[in-house]
Amino acid sequence: MLLRSLFGKTLRDLRWPTFWAGAAVFLLAFYFTYAFPTYSSAFNLQELLDKIPPAMKALIGGQLMDVSTVNGFLNIELFPFMLPAILGGYAIAQGSGLTAGEESRGTIDVLLSYPVSRRSLVVQKAVAATLAVIVVAVAVWLGAVLGAGASNSAVDAGDIAAGLVLATLLALDVGALALAIAGWRGNRSGAAGIAAAVLVVSYFINALAPLIDTIDSIKQVSIFYWYLEGDPLRHGLALGDAAVLAAVAVVLFAAALVLFDRRNLAA
Amino acid sequence: MAGPPGAVIRTHALTKYYGTARGIVDVDLEVHAAETFGFLGQNGAGKSTTIRLLLDLIRPTSGSAEVLGLDAHRDRLAIDRRVAYLPGELALYGDLTGTQTLEYLGNLRGRPDRAYRAELVARLELDPSRPIKSLSRGNKQKVGLVAAFQDRPELLILDEPTSGLDPFVQLEFERLAGEARSDGRTVFISSHILPEVERMCDRVGIIREGRLVAVESIATLKARAVQRLEIDFAGPVDAAAFAGVENVREVSLTDGTLRCTVVGSVDGLLKRAAAREVVRIRTIETSLEEIFLAYYGEGEGEGAGHAAA
Repeated sequence: MLLRSLFGKTLRDLRWPTFWAGAAVFLLAFYFTYAFPTYSSAFNLQELLDKIPPAMKALIGGQLMDVSTVNGFLNIELFPFMLPAILGGYAIAQGSGLTAGEESRGTIDVLLSYPVSRRSLVVQKAVAATLAVIVVAVAVWLGAVLGAGASNSAVDAGDIAAGLVLATLLALDVGALALAIAGWRGNRSGAAGIAAAVLVVSYFINALAPLIDTIDSIKQVSIFYWYLEGDPLRHGLALGDAAVLAAVAVVLFAAALVLFDRRNLAA
Repeated sequence: MAGPPGAVIRTHALTKYYGTARGIVDVDLEVHAAETFGFLGQNGAGKSTTIRLLLDLIRPTSGSAEVLGLDAHRDRLAIDRRVAYLPGELALYGDLTGTQTLEYLGNLRGRPDRAYRAELVARLELDPSRPIKSLSRGNKQKVGLVAAFQDRPELLILDEPTSGLDPFVQLEFERLAGEARSDGRTVFISSHILPEVERMCDRVGIIREGRLVAVESIATLKARAVQRLEIDFAGPVDAAAFAGVENVREVSLTDGTLRCTVVGSVDGLLKRAAAREVVRIRTIETSLEEIFLAYYGEGEGEGAGHAAA
């Protein structure tokens, strides 16, 4: 029974959004890997890619230009921007609403008159939302692997998982940022907007780094840099990169705990 | 019951500003164990601010608050195990049914008594199978009342509990509050409706523009109650005949109708009027403002002396 605890109630709130988001990304990933052989033979993708000017190339996936395999194809089509936008967007949508949603609906008054500490509230809700983001990431993996199987394409499922682990951590970074801002100000849309802006700016810093020296010198501030620099879809999980992204999430989450704990809650 | 006997709620110079906007100022409030305390004031006077400070939903600018002898902020969890709260603007989860809401909230306190809950649901004639979002304001309020009473808390803090209730439910609510009091539990009710507070409460605190201006027993309040009367006379009367009658103020006379304000007993006025032919007597319901004016009209300054009563 999900109504036994705040954690269960949060899972209950997340079940349908997560189901639909998961179903959508499953189909998307399935489509890409299932259609890969068709793309590959219909167009000479490698030849097309080699003709793209470097500036354009940077924006759609850096120097990772190898479309002879499913992993290389996903490395260009799905992982550089679409996947982080979807996973990050989902994490932002949930993270921004965990506390601020209860505040704007006014249910926070009732909820916090029960013996649930504010920190426990943030922990229980954030753990539930993290599980929801992981479910969506797993749906991507299933879609990609099953789609490749259906089209008899060779796929390195382990490296796709590595890419998804990093993408999930990246999503948790912006989700935790949204949670922290919402906990600090109580304003859901403002928190979501700022976190989304950070996601987009991060993307551009990393994408433009190879082209512009000044940006290249600061690329380490971009979470996209840590997400993509190890080329996880071809070289597997770089633990150092994962550790950086995880540390960012932990710090932002800790900030969310402190900021929400201190606030005067909206009436 | 833990904490010092006699003080279930105690605030010391409790003050809250929202930026520069006044919330409450220097509120010293003491609510005794096993009493029903009415917290009376107009909208915006600071009732909800005080209550939300007691619940640690907002933090004081200065001063402090104790509930059940525990610090409102530091010991919030221990307090919330023993205190139930009904917010003034009750918001619940629209997608849950009444039953699901009550089950969830009961679980959060950790000791759901489903039999007692079912009894409360029946007494308030609540249909718990419907989703909250489909309920009228009054029915939603019933869910909130069951949620507050179902855990049999030591202290009930109810912010405008009767808003939206129809008279039957209001009556049942007053019985429930009475039973809680007979069980030795404490009930703290905020209201802007004087008769309601008079019926239910032992003592009342009056808050005005953020300051606690008076704390009185209901008996004292009634003795000082302000009534406005209009008396129609058959024949001509002289206003001067009523000036100086005990407890009577603001006398005016037009077309054989005497209008006046009485603070406390109307005995003197009635005896004086009875010497003439009286056609009709009307009493006009006393507003809170007039009670406040009665407190201020006697040159008692800010009424701070009453706060310690």
